[in-house]
Amino acid sequence: MYLTMDFEGKTAVVTGGARGIGRGIALELAALGSNVVIADMAEESAREVVAEIKAGGTRSYYCETDVTQQWSTDDMVEAALEEYGQLDVLVNNAGVGGSSGFTTRKKPLVEDWQATFDVNVYGMVNGTQSVEKYMVDRGYGKIVNISSISGRVGRSGFASYAASKAAAINVSQAWAYKLASHGINVNAVCPGLIWTPLWQDIAKWRKATDEQNAGMTPRQIFQQTVSESVPLGREQTPEDIGKAVAFLASDRARSITGQALNVDGGIRMN
Amino acid sequence: MNFTGQVAVVTGGATGIGRAIVLKLADKGAAVMIADINEEAAEVTAAEVAEISGSSSAFTTDVTNVAACEGLAQATIDSVGPADFLINNAGIAGSPGWQTRSHSTEDDWKLTYHVNVIGMSNVTSAFQQQMIKRRSGRIVNLASVAGREGRPSLSHYSASKAAVISLTQSTALELARFNITVNAICPGLLWTPMWEQVGDRYAHDVPAYEGMTPRQVFDTMIAEKIPMQKEQTPEDVADAVAFFVSDDAKNITGQALNVDGGFYMR
Repeated sequence: MYLTMDFEGKTAVVTGGARGIGRGIALELAALGSNVVIADMAEESAREVVAEIKAGGTRSYYCETDVTQQWSTDDMVEAALEEYGQLDVLVNNAGVGGSSGFTTRKKPLVEDWQATFDVNVYGMVNGTQSVEKYMVDRGYGKIVNISSISGRVGRSGFASYAASKAAAINVSQAWAYKLASHGINVNAVCPGLIWTPLWQDIAKWRKATDEQNAGMTPRQIFQQTVSESVPLGREQTPEDIGKAVAFLASDRARSITGQALNVDGGIRMN
Repeated sequence: MNFTGQVAVVTGGATGIGRAIVLKLADKGAAVMIADINEEAAEVTAAEVAEISGSSSAFTTDVTNVAACEGLAQATIDSVGPADFLINNAGIAGSPGWQTRSHSTEDDWKLTYHVNVIGMSNVTSAFQQQMIKRRSGRIVNLASVAGREGRPSLSHYSASKAAVISLTQSTALELARFNITVNAICPGLLWTPMWEQVGDRYAHDVPAYEGMTPRQVFDTMIAEKIPMQKEQTPEDVADAVAFFVSDDAKNITGQALNVDGGFYMR
């Protein structure tokens, strides 16, 4: 079968690549030929993804990374360059739904606002700043940031998470402008409804805070949300996001920058 | 991305962006029906496709004519099989002579809307039954960055392309339950015969570009408006079309994707 091996010989770093959407992205890029650095804090899950990638025939390793610290993302980039000699793709995927215990709170605390901003927004800035000089010097690079459809418009509910994801779109545009003339594309993907550890937390939060959901399991809450809000009538998967990221990170998307692409079965149309 | 055994229909497929889309899909193995009002050019492109994927057909189509669109849908089934992909690319920028006028006439408004919007709806209506029956299909509509926000001197064209984005969303909602996705692409600045007309019009009508050749207007706009500092190409657009029709994009619908070097971000 004909397969576009867009990433043969290339190297990608995926922050938050150990689980959920990040894992889907890492596996997809690896399947298309890329070496993939799994930059995460969850060592055990990360090592499983690394083993899966290696079994598929490309190279991978786990890099313990705290994206909220510039020194840590600097180390992440430096190590990747040392290991593979080049860095072609950065996927800023690491994200959180709130600070610990957020699933039991009705309203976000200041700690939730801070945690979502630190990881979902400033983590993206740190990752980008760490790779920026190298990519500019090289005159080539692809950066893909993972936002969310909840970043497209404000709604009642967990405003702190949604606001951080809106900021992620804005940050993507700012760096797209800044880096465009250097041959670097910066785009965002806005995933819809995906059954990941993060969504499990959201479902737990809904169960704890909304009486209508009290008798339901987290998975039932998720499925009800899918059937009520997805025109295509099905949930999205980490693989879907991986494929959209692979497109935007490939040279097939060479003239696309500053865009945010919803992968959401039609929930929100832009 | 392997389209072997799949059937694609491309309106306005004989020249320009449409031709690049035709060649891209054929290169990945699809059988392609080229629908164009220009019969001669369509035959030339069809012969090129036959060389690549071994299967092609051409059908003279005026998208403003409902009967012609229904004829196209039937001819597609008869010659290459039911359509898996429909690429609504046919479009115009004004009524004859528009590029040397300094304002949009009623004819410009009506003809542009008729071809770009009603024509798109005509073709989609003619093909949707084939897709609904098989519970599968991909539709990609060609809009424009001009449809993202108003452009000076191009009000009639810009409005028609905004309507294309809206039509894409409505169609996406209507067809989602049949597992049919509908998305749009908004090309930025491409040096095609159509943009030559736009450059001509700007040189006549926009003070900043007065007295320039169309190509000078184009180059000036690239320098001023495109963050990536280079023009886009028909191949850039074709690559985005290939993504939307592939399985990779099976959970993407109702979206409009700008392929514009960062001209307009959203």
